[in-house]
Formats: sequence, structure tokens, C-alpha cells
Amino acid sequence: MKNKFFSVRGQQIYWCAAILFVLTAFPFFWMISTSFKPLREIFVYPPYFLPKEFTLANFERLFEQTRFLTYFKNSVFVATSAVVLTMTIATAGAYSLTRFRFYGRERIASLILFTYMFAPIMIIIPFYVLIKKMGIANTHLALIMAYTAFCLPFSLWLLRAFFQGIPMALEEAALTDGAGRIRAVIYVTLPLALPGIIATGIFTFILAWNDYIFVRILITSDELKTLSVGIADLYNATVIDWGMIMSGGMLITIPVLVFFIFIQRYLIAGWGTGAVKG
Amino acid sequence: MKIHSQKAGIILIAPAVLLICALLVYPVLYGVWLSFFKKHSFFPDQRFVGLANYFYLLKDPEFWMSVWYGTVYSVSTICLQIIVGVIAALILNEAFRGRNFVRGVILFPYMIPTVVAIILWKWLLNDQFGLVNYLLMAIGVIREPLCWMGKDLIMTSLIIISVWEFFPFVVLSVLARLQSIPPALYEAAKVDGAGAASRFIHVTLPQLRNVLFVVILLRSIWMFTKFDTVWLLTQGGGAEKYVRTLPVYAYMRTFMYYQAGLGSTLAVIMFGILIASTAIYFKMFGREEEI
Repeated sequence: MKNKFFSVRGQQIYWCAAILFVLTAFPFFWMISTSFKPLREIFVYPPYFLPKEFTLANFERLFEQTRFLTYFKNSVFVATSAVVLTMTIATAGAYSLTRFRFYGRERIASLILFTYMFAPIMIIIPFYVLIKKMGIANTHLALIMAYTAFCLPFSLWLLRAFFQGIPMALEEAALTDGAGRIRAVIYVTLPLALPGIIATGIFTFILAWNDYIFVRILITSDELKTLSVGIADLYNATVIDWGMIMSGGMLITIPVLVFFIFIQRYLIAGWGTGAVKG
Repeated sequence: MKIHSQKAGIILIAPAVLLICALLVYPVLYGVWLSFFKKHSFFPDQRFVGLANYFYLLKDPEFWMSVWYGTVYSVSTICLQIIVGVIAALILNEAFRGRNFVRGVILFPYMIPTVVAIILWKWLLNDQFGLVNYLLMAIGVIREPLCWMGKDLIMTSLIIISVWEFFPFVVLSVLARLQSIPPALYEAAKVDGAGAASRFIHVTLPQLRNVLFVVILLRSIWMFTKFDTVWLLTQGGGAEKYVRTLPVYAYMRTFMYYQAGLGSTLAVIMFGILIASTAIYFKMFGREEEI
């Protein structure tokens, strides 16, 4: 190991990795550093890499002068509802696709794969007109429906792969032991599928949490906005308060990264089956 | 038992299929229908105009500009993402201390909300106080600060930001495949006297062919239809029209000029271009076993 590290090739790799790391991580470091700097240090030239005087004033302004907490609550509510709804429907659907044979099953699978390719911009205009007609524009319900529709294709696809990995024999054994089908599912299949369901749920959560376009178009009242739009609108104020914006950016990134670290080990499996889009 | 089980299966999948049809497939079809109408975005009145929207766009210079900008944006970001992504994956496939940590951090840009990526880079590229201008001036590359959000450099800035945000997708897909290449292949090539470059071309690349086929396809679809990164970078700025790609143009027609019919026509054209290019792509590079 030591030998490898000191070899020329080992050092080259180390340098390449270091450059790669700095290019990806540095913007985050800069965001964190800026959000703890007092105003006069933010605009100082040449810039300091770390705050000389550590302050929480940016966060205080964010909470006092903006509706950050309302946006945060809205984001949590909308994303969580979308996860619960998507996971319920997708788990039932994926179970059906892997455990039953019925007419049109393969066709449904290809429909799911096809709709996975849809990008929001391709449906947002007719979607908006329809939502308007239904009279639910400017409600959280419209957002939850949009996210559920958008996350269903990849959730079904991913959960289908997870269910395929659970041997049918286990369920059959429970059935021969006299358990009903529903009991077999609840006590045997679902616990085994749980890691997959959690991972898929987190992907859905991140997608809903990060979304900008649906909120921009479907929501008009300020008190119903979620974080992405809320932060973007802070930027459009006349005088840009960089410290406050960076602290807001940092706070909306934290939940995503916490969840991300949580699901990292499922990520490769999720990638292969198309869990991540955008 | 069989019939009963078939029924249960259909009942369980029904909600998913219904929702997908109602909220994804139906809107797309409804969008095609809308594209034949002159329709205001907010008011219910609409008037059938046949193909007039399509003819209008054919003569609309803004439409052709948006096709051009959209193509420049997607082609350049896709090429750069693939190149940067494959290089990064090759590095991360080597053994070094702290590898797992770097592998995790490298995916961050892809996971964060787009709005965060945008505000981060707007701050870094700020012409007066931005760190990028400062560093470039400190090492003597430039004398005067560059105006990254100005009309000359806005496309470059957009491309840099997009590549930064989306290359991790390529890294993870390629890395997963690299890990499954049997080491014996490399040893055989070494015995045959192949150098590092030759091993990459003759062993690694053919193995990556299938994963690259899928990654390029997905990235192309998503970059060509990318809205939020482009819009968030330029909204309200004077340089907006120098990166007005097709998705942004469709959005503006619908939600700023309130022409939902024309907006839908743009979305339909986008969909058409995607389907046609996907078909050509499959014809040129596709193999049976990949689908």
C-alpha cells in the first residue's frame, strides 16, 4: 500500500483525484464560508477564504425578513405527501407486476419505461391548463399530484427490480403454512422489500424537494410556495443579499445531503434501473 | 385460483396505470390538441386555427434561434459531461486513500436543488466580487474582470454550470460498469504489450459501449428539455435572450405572452425532435440486446 502511494503513478492519481475533489466540493465550501461571514467580509477584495469574524446574522435575517420557515414547512409537507402517495401506489403496482400474470402486463411495463423519459417541460403547459380547468391551481394538491405522476414511472421500475430479487418461494412457504395471501405479503414480502421501498421513497423525496418548475407554474400565492421558488425569488429582490441567499441555499441543501448519505449504498442499484432523473 | 389471481393483479396495478395515463399521457395528447388552437393561458376561450401555429413558428426567427441555442447548449454540455464524467470515473476506479469519500462528494452537485447550484455559481462568477474573476486575475490569466453574465459569456457560463451539475450522473453510471470489467482482460492486454492508452482504447472503451449508449441517450433527452438551470440563471437578466433554448421559449410563450396554443405547439415540436433523434440514434448505434 505504502509503495503504491509513493510510486509515480500513485502520486499522479492522487493529484488527479485532488483536482476532481476541489472542482466539485469547492463551490459548497464557498457557500458555507460566505453564509457565516458578516456583510463587510463578503464584499471584501481580495476575498478571505474563511470568515475572520464568524457570524449568524445572515441566518437571522433569513428567518426574520423572509418567509423561509413557511417555505420550509410547505416543502416538507408537499414532498412527504408525494412520497407517501407514490410509495403506496408504486409498491402495489410493482408487487402486481412481479407476482401476477395478466393480459397486458408487458405492455404496462413498456408504458412505464416510456413515460420515464418525459421531462416536465413537455407536459407542463397542458398540465397547467387541465389543473386550471379542475379548479385546483394554486393548491398543494396540484403539486402533490404532479410529483406523484412524475415519480411513479421510476418508482415502479425500481421497486419492480427489488421485488424481482425477493424469492417467490418465501411467500409460497408462508402460504402453505396456512397464512393468507395478505398475511404472507405483510409478514414476509414487505419486510424484505423495505430497504428498496425506503431508497425509492428517498429518491422521490429529493425530486419533489428540488423541483422548481411545477411550483413556479402551479403556485401563485407566496404563502404556498416551496423552498426552490422561495430562494429563487430572494435573488430577484432589488438588492441582492448574498450572505442571506447563501445561508438559505445551505439550509435547503442539508436535508438532501443527509438523505443522500443514507441511500448511498442503494445508489448503484438505483442508477442501473433508472431511479435518478433530471 | 388463476382467474382470481389475475383480477387481484389488475386491481393492484390499476391506480398506477390510471394515474400515469391521466397525469402524463393524457396531458401530452391534450398538448397536441391544444397546438391546433389559439388559446389564452388563463382564460377559457379558444379558437381552432388548424396548423396556423406551426406555420407561424416556421416563419418565426425567435423560434429558429431557440432551436439553434438549444442545440448548441445540449450538444456541448453532453460532450463535455461525457468526457469529464468518463475521466472522473477512471480516476475514481483507481485505488487511493479516501476514495470512498471522494466518490460520495463527487455526486453532490447532481443531488442538490438546481436553484442552489445556480446561486452558488452566480456568486462565484459575480463580476465585481466573484471568486473566479479574482483567481483568474491573481494568476494573471485576465487583466480586467470578466462579465460572466453578460451576453458574450452567458452561454459559456451556462455550459460550465450545467456540466458541473450533471456530470456526476455519467460518473456513477460509468463507474458501476468499470467495476465489473474482469481484470483478466487488462492482464491479457499487458502480456500482449499494450500500453495504458492502448488498453483504454481496446479494452475499456468497448466494455463501456453499452453503458455509454444509454447514458448519452438519457442525458440528451434531459439536456435538450432542460428548463430550470437555463431559466434560473438568466431570468430577469438582460442576457436572457442569448441562451433562450427551446424549453425556455415554450415557457415564455405560455406564461409571459399567455399564448398557451403556441406554447403547446413548441412542446409538441420538442417532443417530435426528440422522438426523431432517438429513432436515428437507435438506427445508427443501437444493438438488439441493449433495449
